Amino acid sequence: MTSAVEFRSVSRHFGPVRAVDGVDLTIAEGSFFAMLGPSGSGKTTCLRLISGFEQPSAGAIRIFGEDVSRVPPHLRNVNTVFQDYALFPHLNVRDNVAYGLMVKGVGRGPRHAQAEEMLALVKLDGYGDRKPAQLSGGQRQRVALARALVNRPRVLLLDEPLGALDLKLREAMQDELKALQHRLGLTFVFVTHDQHEALSMADHLAVFNEGKIAQIGTPQDIYDRPATRFVADFVGSSNVLPPALTRALGGPEAWASLRPEAVRLAAAGPVTGPVTALRYLGVGTRVAVRLGETEVAALIPAGQPLPAEGEIVALAFDPSALHVMEGAR
Amino acid sequence: MRSDRSPLALKLAAFGGLLFLHLPILLIFLYAFTTEERSYQFPPPGLTTKWFAVAWFDRPDIWPPLYLSLKVAAISTVMALILGTFCAAAMSRARFFGRDQITLLVLLPIALPGVITGMSLRSAFGVMDIPFSTWTIVLGHATFCIVIVYNNAVARFRRLSGGILEASADLGANSFQTFRHVLLPNLGSALLAGGMLAFALSFDEVIVTTFTAGQQSTLPIWMLNELVRPRQRPVTNVVAIVVFAATFLPILAAYYLTRGGSETAGMGK
Amino acid sequence: MSGAVLPARGPGDRLTGLFWRRPWLLLLLLIAPPLLWLGVVYMGSLAALLLQSFYSIDEFSGIVVPEFTLKTYAELFRAQNLDIILRTVTMAAAVTLACAALAFPIAYFAARYAKGPWKAAFYLGVMLPLWSSYLVKVYAWKLILAKEGILGWAAERTHTGFVIDGLLSIPGLQGSSLSTSPIGTFLVFVYIWLPYMILPMQAALERVPQSMLEASADLGATSRQTFRSVILPLALPGVVAGSIFTFSLTLGDYIIPQIIGNSANFIGMAVYQLQGTAGNIPLAAAFAVVPIGIMLVYLWLAKRAGAFDAL
Repeated sequence: MTSAVEFRSVSRHFGPVRAVDGVDLTIAEGSFFAMLGPSGSGKTTCLRLISGFEQPSAGAIRIFGEDVSRVPPHLRNVNTVFQDYALFPHLNVRDNVAYGLMVKGVGRGPRHAQAEEMLALVKLDGYGDRKPAQLSGGQRQRVALARALVNRPRVLLLDEPLGALDLKLREAMQDELKALQHRLGLTFVFVTHDQHEALSMADHLAVFNEGKIAQIGTPQDIYDRPATRFVADFVGSSNVLPPALTRALGGPEAWASLRPEAVRLAAAGPVTGPVTALRYLGVGTRVAVRLGETEVAALIPAGQPLPAEGEIVALAFDPSALHVMEGAR
Repeated sequence: MRSDRSPLALKLAAFGGLLFLHLPILLIFLYAFTTEERSYQFPPPGLTTKWFAVAWFDRPDIWPPLYLSLKVAAISTVMALILGTFCAAAMSRARFFGRDQITLLVLLPIALPGVITGMSLRSAFGVMDIPFSTWTIVLGHATFCIVIVYNNAVARFRRLSGGILEASADLGANSFQTFRHVLLPNLGSALLAGGMLAFALSFDEVIVTTFTAGQQSTLPIWMLNELVRPRQRPVTNVVAIVVFAATFLPILAAYYLTRGGSETAGMGK
Repeated sequence: MSGAVLPARGPGDRLTGLFWRRPWLLLLLLIAPPLLWLGVVYMGSLAALLLQSFYSIDEFSGIVVPEFTLKTYAELFRAQNLDIILRTVTMAAAVTLACAALAFPIAYFAARYAKGPWKAAFYLGVMLPLWSSYLVKVYAWKLILAKEGILGWAAERTHTGFVIDGLLSIPGLQGSSLSTSPIGTFLVFVYIWLPYMILPMQAALERVPQSMLEASADLGATSRQTFRSVILPLALPGVVAGSIFTFSLTLGDYIIPQIIGNSANFIGMAVYQLQGTAGNIPLAAAFAVVPIGIMLVYLWLAKRAGAFDAL
């Protein structure tokens, strides 16, 4: 399999700030790749390094094997869906979508035909004559998508593409984007700070922290086997166990993560503690148990008996669910 | 206890102030029709439209200054448009050392009294032995017109989301295509407004011009001479109406072109 | 499918690539022309002005002596020249005060009570006179103030001519009519520069949040107290900003006192006459430096009052 995008120890410094710090990264062709991380973690800078709006301070970037270090953005066959969509306010929707074709010298007739085709693909047929200001947020997002896709880019970059949409629309767009990517077989690289979005949409993702990649893998890898405490914390609801507790629970003396779904409540066990909180989640109830300094969560499926708050309980789990983290910080 | 109704006295003072600003100009129109040509007698003893014909047919001394003013204003406006837009574009691109100093430099020609700008240019021409010509006038006018264009352009650049320039490059446009297809259409009305204001300012300018014109007369200098040594007073009024229209119409147009933003034209003067 | 990198299509693409690799190059190309123009033409001229002010004129031949001397500046301190400076500064101060007083109701009304189309009307109502031809406005006042003009006519009709005569008989303000008296000069200055005071004042007043006025009222202040202790202090930066314009513009103007007034000399007129008919360019240059000096002091004081936030 060819790699669509490849970073070789790429750094981008802004003065003393190391926005991207020695990143190695390979994105496979045809994958839906997410860059996940808190704001300021370097994920957006990485995206801009691919599109060419930032230039690496060190290292090399290849797109489909070609070194793009000296290639300006407009000559990269890569297109972006911008966070605020950046539609041209003075052009109507059709001309917005046809813009990339126009600057490449495609005649009026063919480029309009292709633009209409793309608008149909994003379910905006008939909207060609409107101005961007007359569209809703979701519609603008689709125009931005069509405007990028009409150029048949080798890689499509999406910068927090769903950030400005409300929850319901966002979920609908997640499915649509996923379906679109599948249909076109294109490489999608998208940046998000929303771990649920990243886990549910991407087939591969990189978790960024302080300019470095903390972990890279499939959603399952990241969720089940977080490499560091940061990943475990950021990606979500996993329990992070300090070395002493891991040992007390029967593991080695090291940081470990334990998914709440794998934890059961038992009458007796090596470690016990009081129930500190119960939170009803629909599919089950999240029970927090205090074990020494640490709070460990267990997800009790609906229909099973629940403890009372303050009750002393013991924890049991499948030993294979306990994931020991290397290089834990 | 706050009310949305204003106290009567305040209302009267505010509207009185506005009337104070506008009424005098109406007199210019009235006196263009008076039959009395030797004094400013009020009310005019009679009304006539003959002065428009006199100004058009019998006063060849009006035409060369009018041509010169139009020429100077046109050239100065074009130069100010280029220099002002360049400057605004550069300032919007990056934060760099000396930004504030450059802003001050652009503002200075209009912030300092005209007599200083005029006298400075006069000194420089003297020191360098440059003879007075149309170009010495243009040199002064373009200098203080830059800031007008700059102010309009910089406000529009600020409102323009930087994203659309990147989007254009992302879609394959080179810098020149981006300028032609994205920047110019979005900047156009602001530049038009700035250009018209610059034209109005140049067409009307008298203080700096008296220092840089030498023996030549622009229309305002012609008017100034008529004010000091009047001949046919109503003819001066006819010319004043023309000058008034040449400044009034551009500012009105500029206002409508840039309306609806925080950048409304004209705050710069 | 095409490759990941598109071929350059011509010089435009190659130049764009160059600008991309060297971002400062485009910046330099953009900033250089205006910077050179303003730097060379304008700053160069100011330097020439400063330079010439340190030259002197040979009293017998009338030729400029290009040697450094402070003699020309010393001449400014002659009684007649000091008189001119004092008269100009007094006029500028009086005009500034009158502008502030007249501008306040307009700015306050426009900022606080005018809504929707009225707001636009007020804005245009200030903007249009500001941009209308300067000379035409001065000329309009010559018509108004002339002895036989509209003011005289109105005074005669209302039998209030004695007011004008009374004003014209005050020592220092004498003249055969308002148009040849310093009162006329003052009136025209106020009229011409008034919009320059209204706009920054309005801008400052518009920044007074409504909630602050309500808070003041909540705390039991009467509207008069609110006005004095909340609105006035907050409007002050705008007043100072406006006064920079009115003060500076009056200091430098020479057309108005030339056309309206008793032909008493002002700084601007002195500069114009000295460089023209008198041919004493060094003294004219030194005179032109005076307003710069005064304005620098004024700006320094204004900066300390925090006036620049309102510009």
